[in-house]
Amino acid sequence: MAWKRLAFIFAVGVPLLAVLAFGFTRDPREIPSPLIGRPAPAFSVRLTDGREVSLSDLRGKVVFLNFWASWCPPCRAEARALEASWQRHRDGDVAFLGINMQDREEAAREFLREFGVTYPNGIDGGNRIAIDYGVWGIPETFFLDRTGRITYKHIGALGAETIHAKLEEARQGVQSRREGKGEYQSIR
Amino acid sequence: MAVLVFAAPAVAGEDLEDRMREVASGLRCPVCQNLSVADSSSEMAREMRALIVDQLRAGKRPDEIRAYFVSKYGQWILLSPTPRGVGLVVWIVPTVGAVAGLGGAAWLLRRWSRREKSPLPPVDVSALSRIREAVRADDSLVALAPEEARLVEALRELRFDYRAGKLSDGDYEELRTLYETRAAAALARPKRPRPERAAAGASVPEAAAAGAAPRPARPWRWVAAALFLIGFGATLGYFLPQSVRARGEGSPTGDFLTGTREEAARAEAPDLPVLLERGRQAMEAGEWDRAIGFFRRALEADPDEPTAHASLGLILHRAGHPDRALKSFERALARDPASPQALWGKGLVLYESLGKTAEAIRTWETLLAQEISKEDRDHVLSILAEARQRLVAQPGPAARSPR
Repeated sequence: MAWKRLAFIFAVGVPLLAVLAFGFTRDPREIPSPLIGRPAPAFSVRLTDGREVSLSDLRGKVVFLNFWASWCPPCRAEARALEASWQRHRDGDVAFLGINMQDREEAAREFLREFGVTYPNGIDGGNRIAIDYGVWGIPETFFLDRTGRITYKHIGALGAETIHAKLEEARQGVQSRREGKGEYQSIR
Repeated sequence: MAVLVFAAPAVAGEDLEDRMREVASGLRCPVCQNLSVADSSSEMAREMRALIVDQLRAGKRPDEIRAYFVSKYGQWILLSPTPRGVGLVVWIVPTVGAVAGLGGAAWLLRRWSRREKSPLPPVDVSALSRIREAVRADDSLVALAPEEARLVEALRELRFDYRAGKLSDGDYEELRTLYETRAAAALARPKRPRPERAAAGASVPEAAAAGAAPRPARPWRWVAAALFLIGFGATLGYFLPQSVRARGEGSPTGDFLTGTREEAARAEAPDLPVLLERGRQAMEAGEWDRAIGFFRRALEADPDEPTAHASLGLILHRAGHPDRALKSFERALARDPASPQALWGKGLVLYESLGKTAEAIRTWETLLAQEISKEDRDHVLSILAEARQRLVAQPGPAARSPR
């Protein structure tokens, strides 16, 4: 009888504890993206210089798509690395496009001036593009291959080495299994 | 009339708002902690609500809108996951738990009630009639043992209540039978010890005789319980500090409960070399916040510590604050004019952020005069060469740089 009771307690308690322990090891805020390997959602956006660009215009190029905001410290941290990578890759078949979100336009322009960003940047007014890409913690960066398929997503600040490596992968159409996480990120 | 109103595809204000809330309350706000899109006041949630309204206006059904969000954020976005695959577990386990709990409770209740009802001992008829006599006689209870006296008293009160109309016939009958049976049983018990007890003090409670039977000792029970407790504690102790991240000042308990390394460091070893080393490690791991914390504390201990200033400068430079970074490097150099880290960082800020190439070159030349590793020297030399080229190629900034 007592053995039975003990066995019962263990049979119920141990799985319960295991589930709790498993739950504690997970980050509840991490949102695994279902978009990797899928065609990138189409959009068209107004650039800071007034031009309008749509994703389909960039078909045939490897696309580096970066969501950012001026208030976000990791976006500041990666800004120089992004510009340096653009300088390095601009002559190739690579298109860089920044999407500013959750921001004021003057602040965004000030940010671009401060870091001397030369690649095109669009203003995502209602965050519709961001929602369409399942963005949650900026900076988030998507790498698209020539056919417009998402090969990699990175959450958090990027370094020049990762950018280079992932652009190379996208150029060859190599698709990452899951998104990468950077050093740190901002959520608002 | 009412049918017509409800049947019409109402797209007007309030109804739309209600339908939006219905969808939004089932979606998890991606930038919040456990808030639905309907409840969150964040900008992201606000725009998601606007998007839902737009899609409803465009004639999309709520489940189509939900499917849209799932296609972007995965199942994560749903506050109640669809009952499929792993998601099935969250639906089944509570149901199973509730059924098991209710079943267990019912089983226990039945067991208890059966135990209470069952053992009415066979009644001694003569004892029963004696009790009835005693209740009816209304005389003193001194002649009876305490337990009997109490039961007789209860029977009398019962009778009084019944006569006063406070009890129904059925209740009275049931209670009377119960008390009479108990009293008769008490009366029928062996009578020998009673006089002694009465002599001893007459107020010995009736329970004294019942509880004394010694239980057989079962040490393995205690061992099993202790093992389980230790296992539970160890598991909790292992996983909790691993999973709970430092909250710092935002949490009412600070880092105290989470036992993070910073707190431990603060308590045990606030000495400078340890702080600097920890800061360096944090920097290498890219944990800037932690690194900043260590260096700040190093500066609390020694406000002019050059390594701490230089490292903070590098972080500030990285975060895009060239002016503050430069200040940090200057403070480091004020104490230690030969600090390689500060010289390197100062040159970097001047070169990369402020465009003062000539000044950067001078700084790096000072750095090369110091003792540094071969690897570092090569790196400095290569960037120096690049800077010199730039100086030649762009006379503009060079002309501006000397102050």
